[in-house]
Amino acid sequence: MTQSATNLIPRLRDIVGDDGLLFNREELLVYECDGYTVEKKVPDVVVFPTSTEQVVAVVRLCNELNVPFIPRGAGTSLAGGTLPIGGGVMITLTRMKRILEVNVRDRYAVVEPGLVNVHLTNHLKETGYHYAPDPSSQGACTIGGNVATNSGGPHTLKYGVTVNHVLGVEAVLPDGSVVQFGGPCEDGPGFDLTGLFVGSEGTFGICTKVWVRLTRNPESYRTLLGVFETVTAATQAISAIIGAGIVPAALEMMDQGIIGALEAAFHFGFPLDAGAVLLIEVDGLEVAVEEEAVRIEAICLENGAREVRRARTQKERLLLWKCRKQAFGAIGRLSPSYCTQDGVVPRTKLPQILEFITDCGRRHDLKIVNVFHAGDGNIHPILLFDERNEDQVRRVLLASDEILSKCLDLGGSVTGEHGIGVEKISFMDKLFAPEDLAVMKSIRDVFNPDNRCSPGKMLPTAGGCGTEDHPHKNHPGRRAAM
Amino acid sequence: MPDSQSVFQPATQDDLAQFVTENATNARRCLLPIGGGTACRDAATDDAIEVRLDKLNRVIDYPARDMTITVEAGIRMAELAKILAAENQRLPIDVPHAEQATLGGVIATNWSGSRRFGCGTIRDYVIGISAIDASGKRFSAGGRVVKNVAGYDLCKLLVGSRGTLAIISQVTLKLRPMAETSALVTLTFDSLCQVDAVLNRLLTSATRPMVLDVLGRMGTLARPNEETGRSAHPPQLIVGFEGASRETDWQIETLLAECRPFEPRTTGSFVGAAAEPLWSMLRDFSIGSKSSVTFKASLPPSRTCEFLRLATETGIVAQAHAGNGIVNGHLPDRVSKAEQAFAAIKPLGDLVRSCGGHLSLLRAPSGWPALDVAADSWAESLAWAQRLKRQLDPHNLLNPGVMAFGPA
Ligand SMILES: Cc1cc2nc3c(=O)[nH]c(=O)nc-3n(C[C@H](O)[C@H](O)[C@H](O)COP(=O)(O)OP(=O)(O)OC[C@H]3O[C@@H](n4cnc5c(N)ncnc54)[C@H](O)[C@@H]3O)c2cc1C
Ligand SMILES: Cc1cc2nc3c(=O)[nH]c(=O)nc-3n(C[C@H](O)[C@H](O)[C@H](O)COP(=O)(O)OP(=O)(O)OC[C@H]3O[C@@H](n4cnc5c(N)ncnc54)[C@H](O)[C@@H]3O)c2cc1C
Repeated sequence: MTQSATNLIPRLRDIVGDDGLLFNREELLVYECDGYTVEKKVPDVVVFPTSTEQVVAVVRLCNELNVPFIPRGAGTSLAGGTLPIGGGVMITLTRMKRILEVNVRDRYAVVEPGLVNVHLTNHLKETGYHYAPDPSSQGACTIGGNVATNSGGPHTLKYGVTVNHVLGVEAVLPDGSVVQFGGPCEDGPGFDLTGLFVGSEGTFGICTKVWVRLTRNPESYRTLLGVFETVTAATQAISAIIGAGIVPAALEMMDQGIIGALEAAFHFGFPLDAGAVLLIEVDGLEVAVEEEAVRIEAICLENGAREVRRARTQKERLLLWKCRKQAFGAIGRLSPSYCTQDGVVPRTKLPQILEFITDCGRRHDLKIVNVFHAGDGNIHPILLFDERNEDQVRRVLLASDEILSKCLDLGGSVTGEHGIGVEKISFMDKLFAPEDLAVMKSIRDVFNPDNRCSPGKMLPTAGGCGTEDHPHKNHPGRRAAM
Repeated sequence: MPDSQSVFQPATQDDLAQFVTENATNARRCLLPIGGGTACRDAATDDAIEVRLDKLNRVIDYPARDMTITVEAGIRMAELAKILAAENQRLPIDVPHAEQATLGGVIATNWSGSRRFGCGTIRDYVIGISAIDASGKRFSAGGRVVKNVAGYDLCKLLVGSRGTLAIISQVTLKLRPMAETSALVTLTFDSLCQVDAVLNRLLTSATRPMVLDVLGRMGTLARPNEETGRSAHPPQLIVGFEGASRETDWQIETLLAECRPFEPRTTGSFVGAAAEPLWSMLRDFSIGSKSSVTFKASLPPSRTCEFLRLATETGIVAQAHAGNGIVNGHLPDRVSKAEQAFAAIKPLGDLVRSCGGHLSLLRAPSGWPALDVAADSWAESLAWAQRLKRQLDPHNLLNPGVMAFGPA
């Protein structure tokens, strides 16, 4: 621990109290990484503020003592977003988890950043409204973390991602000032700084309050499971559904590799010999969804589906969604370790990228399974390996790199929802021109001129890996922490 | 326009970048980006150059099956709509003067219309952007895929930036399928109080409206009811639906049934082509007046009727997107002096200020002082907006004075 950090502890204790901080080596180990476990680093101290004022005081102190600081929610980031580069103070927001206001008349709620995503939707149950963004990790991840990473989820195909549902944020900026961007009224004066803040991965400051938009619940659902012989046939069906002008609420694909693991875990009755299944949900008015479901069934069958099943009861529907949302958990049955990627391609390029992934697995002698947001073209290939096998780890990193590069070749992106973090920082200069990065940096400089807040994230440092202890592993690779 | 003001009309994005670069290194004259020129405005300085973007109007790529399109920012909205319609797709943003207004102008002004309740605003559709900053540097953000979180979301920063941060040159949009059919239901009520109660009821309506507009006073289409002799201009609620025919028919019936207990004075429903004149009226409301002063206000949706009541008392004709708390209003024709206008707007400004909102003038006679009323809660964010402006345009070359950064 550095000298300034030693001075830090008693003063932090004054701010957050005895039970508001951790600094023993063993206790800190929990915070050495998030869902991205390839790189590890413990912070010097972890604090658990309970109010905006405490966050302000912590940030001011860090500035005074020139110590870096980084916000953290539940630590489910899959991109190393919470890796404390340079050590310093980790500001964990999980104790700021109150729902401050629910205003159905004006269709918003105000929440603290540490609130777990699904807790908000549970809280809204009686109102007929919900908070739309539903990342698969919604049982654990926080709204503050969602704001920072602009999270998506299965239902973002129809409803949009986090930024489409955030009306405003209160933040403690890196200089320690508190600012409110946006709020309950739309179309405020000045620039859309709410939109700019969302997805800034903690590099513009610490979000301490969020105004979220509430969305009316759909009246009805139809949840279908299309069973296909091949992945290619399934992707053709996707194109045909969207091409027919239908926007399903969700359109998720699972390939044969993952179906087996899901069946072993949940006993849903998935066909083990199918090449791929599509989980398709349409929602809306009862008068409309049946018609859409019938059209989708027909399109699937025209495109070679072996059968199209329907969830007949709400229980069956929820089980299907449980299988999908806990798919990562089921992978433990397949392999001791795994690494999932988050590439995006234009929807019509799905057959190409999936073919490439299969081929890539073959070339590197790796098993790769797929479960992903197909309607958005957002792939999540999961590369299975054994952490103890160094050569396998090397091949996993190589294959990941090739897959993401291929996404770029196909006109896509290296991250649809998990963020750049530290993991994909080396891809930034492939995605963006130097001028693009220069403008982004100049904007970060406005809010975070000393780069003391979340250093080493999102933007590459000029001249390479830069930051003192950033490992020279400029390859993506990670296992989800489950 | 003063004679000394010159015009530059680039044919390509490279021309534009080169011109801006040269200007930044040499004369450093102010640049006023112009799309269709439908949002009128005073010239910033005599020495400024108008940069006309309407020749930058090419379609770069339209992979229709991916439901995205990449175009140059000077493309006219009507032209864009035509291209999309050929693929049965659309950008569901209602824009007046679509034959003239450009995509870049819509993005720069964050313009929106009645469908914003159900379809969102242009912010929700811009997934990739390229722009040229005041130094001539061309930069991009986002990409061409519908889901992408790489890098800062500069699309959001540029939406609504009124041409003060950079000149938008190219845009990638996410698209929607064309709706099979659309319908509008009109209901007139005796008072705005009743409209408010109905809006409250509709929060848990079995229907899912796309449009929730309220027209205050002369904004309504309803003709005076001579038999009853009641107020000639009752407030009118207009609810819009889109979807399959069966779906819209069912929604019209259901809505009317839900509103019956509130005893609407008159009701009407218009489906498909029959609704077109009404859609046009809603879309063109902001330009459909001879009034010389038009404003836009935003406030919590629950305060909309209160705002409309105050507005109509002053003789203001207003259209509210009541589900979003957005109001456009025209001052009475007889108002011709700034002091008169500001006095008429004052109570509205006070209300907006007291509930976290914002009010600004869209149109006013030239030479009038600016009017931009914002609640105190916006003060810090405006200060940060100004810092961003200084960072990206340190010499204040792009549309100087167009964006109000402080309380007026
Ligand atoms: C099994 C599994 C499934 C997942 N599925 C999805 C999915 O479907 N869609 C999806 O988008 N993501 C998914 N993720 C990724 C992850 O859950 C999201 O990125 C989530 O938003 C992170 O929230 P968190 O609270 O865990 O944040 P953390 O992991 O703690 O932090 C994430 C980033 O946000 C910053 N941050 C956190 N809180 C704040 C704050 N208050 N202010 C400013 N910055 C802050 C951190 O510094 C870090 O950069 C999944 C992860 C797992 C493990
Ligand atoms: C303040 C205001 C006043 C309005 N007044 C009227 C009105 O009187 N009549 C009417 O019909 N509609 C008006 N509108 C609505 C307006 O017509 C729509 O917003 C329309 O979409 C503008 O498109 P345009 O191409 O005509 O833009 P323009 O009128 O050419 O420009 C509008 C604004 O956007 C900027 N801009 C235009 N293109 C670009 C670009 N490519 N990059 C960066 N900045 C750009 C301009 O500098 C200007 O500030 C107004 C809107 C606003 C916000």
